[in-house]
Amino acid sequence: MGLTSREITEKTAEALIRASTVFRPDQYIAYQQALQKENHPQARWVLEKILKNAWAAEEKRYPLCDDTGIPHVFLEIGEQASLPAGFFKDIEAGIAMGLRELPGRPMAVLGDDYERISQSGGLSEDPGALGMAPVQVRTIPGPSIRLTVLMLGGGPEIRGKTLRVFHRHSVETVIDEMVSWAKEGAEKLGCLPCVLFFGIGRTNLEAASLALEAAKDGDFTVQSELEQRITNEVNSAGIGALGLGGETTCLGTFVKVGPQRASGVRIVSLRVGCCFDPRKATVSFD
Amino acid sequence: MPKLNTPLSEKVINELKIYDTIEISGLIYTGRDAVLPKLVKAFKEKQLENLGINLRGAVIFHTAVSPAGVGPTSSNKVEIESSIPALSEAGVKIHLGKGSLDKKTVESLKYYNSIYAVTPPVTALFSAQLKSKRVAAFAEEGMEALHELEVVDFPAIVAIAHGASIFER
Repeated sequence: MGLTSREITEKTAEALIRASTVFRPDQYIAYQQALQKENHPQARWVLEKILKNAWAAEEKRYPLCDDTGIPHVFLEIGEQASLPAGFFKDIEAGIAMGLRELPGRPMAVLGDDYERISQSGGLSEDPGALGMAPVQVRTIPGPSIRLTVLMLGGGPEIRGKTLRVFHRHSVETVIDEMVSWAKEGAEKLGCLPCVLFFGIGRTNLEAASLALEAAKDGDFTVQSELEQRITNEVNSAGIGALGLGGETTCLGTFVKVGPQRASGVRIVSLRVGCCFDPRKATVSFD
Repeated sequence: MPKLNTPLSEKVINELKIYDTIEISGLIYTGRDAVLPKLVKAFKEKQLENLGINLRGAVIFHTAVSPAGVGPTSSNKVEIESSIPALSEAGVKIHLGKGSLDKKTVESLKYYNSIYAVTPPVTALFSAQLKSKRVAAFAEEGMEALHELEVVDFPAIVAIAHGASIFER
């Protein structure tokens, strides 16, 4: 028997709720390691509160943060898999179901284009009205379909950017710019330690998609030399948890480098994620 | 750890300094981007009393209030940070949020003997500190309306006080 509409909807809803309420093992490890290194008393207070919050959220099945975020769905579709009719509609229904059950923050803005831009037409009281961002799709070998729900909060969206960098045929030029953006964003973020997601691509859209892919794949226990270097350089700024100072401005960095074009320009996309990033969970349809 | 009860006196504020960990109990207001400019306008037009709002010795927590709970939003967003001088003049003693603030805001806080405190976005923990909530004014803003919360031992750290700021390094 093939995939049923109900299975797709319920599994999607469950992934959304898990992403919003549960710290993954690699997040716990990252915070415990940060605490071991941290001597600043107020920064330790913040890190301990974040850990206690994670335990409470999982136990009560309560949102980790009141900004429950905008749902982003990342699909990895097996080369031998076939999608049933209505698959994407069922995912949309699952996102709405998850938001209502969580409950998500009712922050969908009502009205026409002008009213939505100026937030003058009121807000929906229905958490499920929020809707998800356009779905990202990749292919994987085999017959499975993997669906990851990422919940992206609003604070990091003020601090992130997607912009060209003239590389001058030196990777150092690009890395220096990435670190500079990250420090600038972290300075104002508030919800520190931050988690950095970078995508490097050929177009603005591709780079932003790669940054989301970096968040989807990110595991704090697996850091490349480049990722660790960026984390260390941002931590040297001493901004610290909640901006109070100390060792832990950045908990980790995730970078996805895509194909590049023959040009003096690289397009870099950065999300300066908050202390709960990446809020994500994955389900498989076999 | 200083335990504070609202409304707050000038003397209580005088004794606080940056990096102090505090716990706030009593009634506090909430507001963010949508409602704080409306609150400033009401203060300037001397309409606060008509709205049943008393900001003398008050705490304003920069948050939405929704079924998802409460948690600080970025206080350095334009509409929030620009409300701080006028609301301090109106009597607000603690502005509670997250993120660094400009030097001009540090100066205006000093002038009105108000302070800025930060708290982590630990919504699941806050649910235990939140005893009641009601819409106080501007209900049309939904989750962004001015709410009044009753809190017990709500935790925060003083980030800006009397001209000193943890964000100046």
